[in-house]
Amino acid sequence: MAAASSSDSDSGRAESKEANSKWLDAHYDPVANIHTFSACLVLADLHGDGEHKLVVGDLGPSGQQPRLKVLKGPTVLTESPLPALPAAAATFLMEQHEPQAPALALASGPCVYVYKNLRPYFKFSLPPLPPNPLEQDLWHQAKEMSLPSVPVFLEASGQFDVEFRLAAACRNGNIYILRRDSKHPKYCIELSAQPVGLVRVHKVLVVGSTEDSLHGFTHKGKKLWTVQMPAAILTMNLLDQRSRGLQAVMAGLANGEVRIYRDKALLNIIRAPDAVTSLCFGRYGREENTLIMTTRGGGLIIKILKRTAVFVEAGGEVGPPPAQATKLNVPRKTRLYVDQTLREREAGTAMHRAFQTDLYLLRLRTARAYVQALESSLSPMSMTAREPLKLHAVVQGLGPIFKLTLHLQNPSTARPALGLLICFLYNEALYALPQAFFKVPLLVPGLNYPLETFVESLSDKGISDIIKVLVLREGQSAPLLSAHINMPVSEGLAAA
Amino acid sequence: MGSEMEPLLLAWSYFRRRKFQLCADLCTQMLEKSPYDQEPDSELPVSQAVWILKARALTEMVYVDEIDMDQEGIAEMTLDENAIAQVPRPGTSLKLPGVNQTGGPSQAVRPITQAGRPITGFLRPSTQSGRPGTMEQAIRTPRTAYTARPITSSGRYVRLGTASMLTSPDGPFINLSRLNLTKYSQKPKLAKALFEYIFHHENDVKTALDLAALSTEHSQYKDWWWKVQIGKCYYRLGMYREAEKQFKSALKQQEMVDTFLYLAKVYITLDQPMTALNLFKHGLDKFPGEVTLLCGIARIYEEMNNSSSAAEYYKEVLKQDSTHVEAIACIGSNHFYSDQPEVALRFYRRLLQMGVYNCQLFNNLGLCCFYAQQYDMTLTSFERALSLAENEEETADVWYNLGHIAVGIGDMSLAHQCFRLALVNNNHHAEAYNNLAVLEMRKGHVEQARALLQTASNLAPHMYEPHFNFATVSDKIGDLQRSYVAAQKSEAAFPDHVDTQHLIKQLKQHFAVL
Repeated sequence: MAAASSSDSDSGRAESKEANSKWLDAHYDPVANIHTFSACLVLADLHGDGEHKLVVGDLGPSGQQPRLKVLKGPTVLTESPLPALPAAAATFLMEQHEPQAPALALASGPCVYVYKNLRPYFKFSLPPLPPNPLEQDLWHQAKEMSLPSVPVFLEASGQFDVEFRLAAACRNGNIYILRRDSKHPKYCIELSAQPVGLVRVHKVLVVGSTEDSLHGFTHKGKKLWTVQMPAAILTMNLLDQRSRGLQAVMAGLANGEVRIYRDKALLNIIRAPDAVTSLCFGRYGREENTLIMTTRGGGLIIKILKRTAVFVEAGGEVGPPPAQATKLNVPRKTRLYVDQTLREREAGTAMHRAFQTDLYLLRLRTARAYVQALESSLSPMSMTAREPLKLHAVVQGLGPIFKLTLHLQNPSTARPALGLLICFLYNEALYALPQAFFKVPLLVPGLNYPLETFVESLSDKGISDIIKVLVLREGQSAPLLSAHINMPVSEGLAAA
Repeated sequence: MGSEMEPLLLAWSYFRRRKFQLCADLCTQMLEKSPYDQEPDSELPVSQAVWILKARALTEMVYVDEIDMDQEGIAEMTLDENAIAQVPRPGTSLKLPGVNQTGGPSQAVRPITQAGRPITGFLRPSTQSGRPGTMEQAIRTPRTAYTARPITSSGRYVRLGTASMLTSPDGPFINLSRLNLTKYSQKPKLAKALFEYIFHHENDVKTALDLAALSTEHSQYKDWWWKVQIGKCYYRLGMYREAEKQFKSALKQQEMVDTFLYLAKVYITLDQPMTALNLFKHGLDKFPGEVTLLCGIARIYEEMNNSSSAAEYYKEVLKQDSTHVEAIACIGSNHFYSDQPEVALRFYRRLLQMGVYNCQLFNNLGLCCFYAQQYDMTLTSFERALSLAENEEETADVWYNLGHIAVGIGDMSLAHQCFRLALVNNNHHAEAYNNLAVLEMRKGHVEQARALLQTASNLAPHMYEPHFNFATVSDKIGDLQRSYVAAQKSEAAFPDHVDTQHLIKQLKQHFAVL
């Protein structure tokens, strides 16, 4: 099942793409057939022989046949079936005496199974409601914790040893922080989008959300920082490099990248051939600082962090954005332009005076034309505060019969328009309108009313004329609106 | 009482002085004296000459130069059988607006027409064409009496033909049905005049084609002139490939500029701009510096959205002929839209010096003066433009530009009045609706603004401004659904618009958040 591949660092060095990559490729098996989440990966020294192994709660291909696999090196050591899909796995020490062989707790289905020496030891059944379990970290005494009544669905992590706190991310978008001495959540962080992963780094809770971003919160619930990702976050986990005392957050993205952040700063990016669905960092085999990733297609990738690798914060984000470096397309200054500016300087006063005079004359002329238009009601829209209306006419057809559609709209906010009539003025020798005068229905504000009439062209000489449309109100002699329609030339000959 | 001039000479002098009506009347008088007034007597060469002269006079009265591209009829656009490729490669078709505008200003600066090409400086019959998507759209393009697009091109010629009946109200000069074409084809000189009369005055293409065919046979296919005329008849009838053949064989015999132009016209109608370009360049080898050929190349480049090459060729044209109106106008508008209004001003002043005196020129002059900060001349130009406007559409455009100037000054009430006046003159002025909506928004009349923007976007779906404005207004009042739909339309019209992209991103974030 797992292809044999050496886990030497020599071949790893040959396989790594970049010379100065901080990671050595130890193993890459795209068909390892391991489908799991970060919550189901645990590195632990199960047998007490100093060699850590990887415990995988495997969902099986396409969700069938869930198994518990233990991997040593690149190969699967043991495999045992599980009764239901695993949801989370954790190791903890049950006894305080030597040798400290941790027990494995596996949450599967509605129960939590405790395995010791890879044999089922205890089985705890949780009450059926809520059905999903908590994920437990080291040194957890699960029996004493009472679940809050609030449904807790997503992962929880992080605790202080004496006065532990449990942070649980829930499906309703909130993070509840529970303390040891209370049975109910103490603090609640409300997120703006669904949480995808939760990791505790020192005293900061790092939450990944469906908005493709990472948020950092204090343990009291204050938001510290936000970092935007280029793609959706699939999984998150903690990177704890004990030798240097580094704690960072790893986030696996949908575009195949794994990004490592310490607080807000991006430390490193690893590119994987496929989208990474689970991450685990810790001691594997005899190597410290191994990163194990499983991909969406079921592959297994193991990378070893070089001993000499130091994470420096990448300074790629500082400095002005590249968009500021492009030059603006300013037109060349022509000689003519310069000459004209000279002219402006010399004759500035005269130009200004001429312009102002012209402006007054223009205003006068415009006002006259406007008054004339208002008086003859030529405008297609009426602006009186009581009766706003808008008219717009469209001609369709090739002739000799045309369809004239009038779009009437009442743009006021709350007043309907009542009692309106439409009348047409036309040259009777050229056009025949069967319906030259009709009533308009009540106009609800905001809606567009298309009113249709037919016009028949009577002439065969290929000339066209203007038809005037008037909107009238009962009792008033001047029309409210009018529109001029230039009728197109009729293509067909009128029936004689 | 001096002695009278010989009537034929008088008639000829009228003809040369372009007094065609007088010439035709005089010829009619002379022909009445001869026994056969319908057909010339072959023994009397004078009556033949008179007959020819009259035919030519009547033709010249209605002569329309065939070389310029005609307006495509609606039927020809929607039922086109000549397109070679269903989806032509970019840069090889005139029907698709060019995807990459090489070096031209973006759509935010230079407005585009319905076809998707930037507005040109010179209005030719074909510049209004653009392939409408559906029959509905084709009919809906404003078909007033001024901008009427004919249903078919031959239909328009029938109308022109009937218009020519007005030149001879007492019956046609030559009764075509009684003509004996074979007899006339034996006499090449008579035949040529007769052909022109039939083709241009009577617009009877079939008869003309018969005559031309017989005459070509008679001249044993050696006369290039008849081949060109046959080609023209085929073109009118829509048989473009046969026309191409005729023109090519005419070119082989005798290379004339006109033949090049006709052949290029055929290629453009067949939507083969690259072939037409090659043909023009070949013609330029034979006739170096020929203005019409250079102009043809420049026009094709403009149609294909390659404004930098078009500008180059127009400059060449100007080197040869510094009075060429089309070149000056196109270069002027290019400069205006690339932020050099003072240079554009110089070009338009040249046009004024050449005697072009109409509303559009003064409108352009006014705009150039304003943007080049020569404020004293701005408003007088616009006043002149208003007084020269011939129809309401031009008036509407001038008022619209005045509205822009008012916005530039900061006088909002003046701007409002000007835009309303633009609408009064032209109820379908989409840009004026849009600008009026923006002014209403500033005053706070949101519903009015929305109604106006809806009208504007219905009238001109190819413009991105009404869609974007509608999206912004809807976003402000909280109608996010409509805002998103309108923003999509705006993006479809102008994909590079940064503000639209921002708006869409904002809306998407809003929709994604809890």
